Amino acid sequence: MNDRAENTLLVLPGLALLALAFFVPITQMLILSVSGDDGPTLAHFTRFLGDPYYLGVLWRTVRLSILITVICAAIGFPLAYIMARVGPRLRLWLIVLVILPLMTSVVVRTFGWMVLLSRSGLIPEMLRDMGLVGRNFAIMQTETAIVIGMVQVLLPFMTLSILGIVTRIDPRLEEAARTMGCTFLQSLRTVVLPLAVPGIIAGSLLVFTLSASSFVTPNLLGGSRIQVLAASIYRSVTQTLDWPFAAAQAVILFVGILLILVPYARLAGGRSNG
Amino acid sequence: MVKSISTPMRIATMAFVVFTAIFLLAPLVVVVGVSVSESQFIAFPPSGFSLRWYEEVLGSDAYVGAAWISLRVAILVTLTATFVGGAAAIALHRRKLPFSGALATFFLSPLVLPTIIYAIGMLMLWSAIFGPVSIVTLWLSHTVITIPYVVRTTLAVLSESDPFLEEAAQTMGASRLQRLWLVVVPQCRPGLIAGAFFAFNISFDEAVLALFLRKPGLTTLPVQIYGQLEFSPDPSVAAVSTIMIALTITLILVIDRLLGVQKFASA
Repeated sequence: MNDRAENTLLVLPGLALLALAFFVPITQMLILSVSGDDGPTLAHFTRFLGDPYYLGVLWRTVRLSILITVICAAIGFPLAYIMARVGPRLRLWLIVLVILPLMTSVVVRTFGWMVLLSRSGLIPEMLRDMGLVGRNFAIMQTETAIVIGMVQVLLPFMTLSILGIVTRIDPRLEEAARTMGCTFLQSLRTVVLPLAVPGIIAGSLLVFTLSASSFVTPNLLGGSRIQVLAASIYRSVTQTLDWPFAAAQAVILFVGILLILVPYARLAGGRSNG
Repeated sequence: MVKSISTPMRIATMAFVVFTAIFLLAPLVVVVGVSVSESQFIAFPPSGFSLRWYEEVLGSDAYVGAAWISLRVAILVTLTATFVGGAAAIALHRRKLPFSGALATFFLSPLVLPTIIYAIGMLMLWSAIFGPVSIVTLWLSHTVITIPYVVRTTLAVLSESDPFLEEAAQTMGASRLQRLWLVVVPQCRPGLIAGAFFAFNISFDEAVLALFLRKPGLTTLPVQIYGQLEFSPDPSVAAVSTIMIALTITLILVIDRLLGVQKFASA
């Protein structure tokens, strides 16, 4: 046996598994999305793109995903920066703070939000007691509930993506900026933020993709009336049993994600290089 | 002179950290709180203290059955993904194979594709070829989505390893198998362990593939909880959820002992 044979044997099981159990299923789905009763058809796509209801679902998915990504970045960047600059003990606690929710099942975390946001839950009660909202106020079954839940679910991904980059920024750069007369916030904005851009981009790509394709949290917090695309796919598979239509929606979801992400990555990548 | 960070800025930072901590932990704390409530209804803050919902969960066939399925799948997935992913990472690290770069991308590709898209594909393919889904379907598909984690953690560890150890072993007359098993695998160990924990955690908590690839009698714990939440949640759901949170905390503690949580977070 030579080196080549040894290395081939080592990759082979994984190669075979991913080819048969990953790429073949995806191909099967692509084929199904264009298959009709009499040969190939684009009917499932035209049905989706010609129906105002489904276009509304698509638009809601894009809108909420962008909002969730922006909020995650706005909280994740300062959090990651603080994690990178505090002492080792506190950093350990903050890392646990981020990892514990990350490693807890999405179903469990969403349940927590269902309790907190329900009509008699802690948060609406508090808002009512403070007189900020009326008696009939409700958060559950609204887009706000989806955004709150999804930000909590996805914030750890954003924070860890940014943390990987921010820890590599030399603190002496900020010291230099401050020696030259920058305030703390100025050094953050002009030194740290530009250097953290790759992390923010990587985190945003991840959060946007995960957000656009999730249905567990939106289904449970938004209810059946506020549908997002992934929830609609799930319904087509499990309730209406229209698999070709589900496949077509999945293709639209993926193409939609690519259409938004590729220009974003290119734009942001070009900016950080120039 | 360096301008120091002003006191209001420090207070604002502290407030931000506290607020974020509450935001991240609130849903978990609430679930634990509800689980020890005496009341029949889900309410937070809980009224009274009782462990009756834990008794109910441990006596429920649906929950215990689901936990058993989850555990079996997660253990199978952990073993397969660690073995297959670890082996692939060792070969990828050597960069001796043709198209090494493309191969590495290939092994990480399940990370990029949204799980729901893969889940539909798997369901459709399995139904077309084999008919109804089984525990094997879940095992294979969870292995596919966890392999990239094992590959990534193992590659990260190998990139810091000493490439000459293997050569030295060869000079001293070690056979291929001896080199692999006695020199390379021990070097990979922290990466393999971290990857294995990722694999177990992801498989045990995963809901998307498990929801698509379910049938009566093949319900994992997250799917069972999801079903309860959709229809009739009572505090027993909170008790199961608390058990899952406790499992996660145990995993984190073990990881911290073995590798250090900080290393794990950066993997």
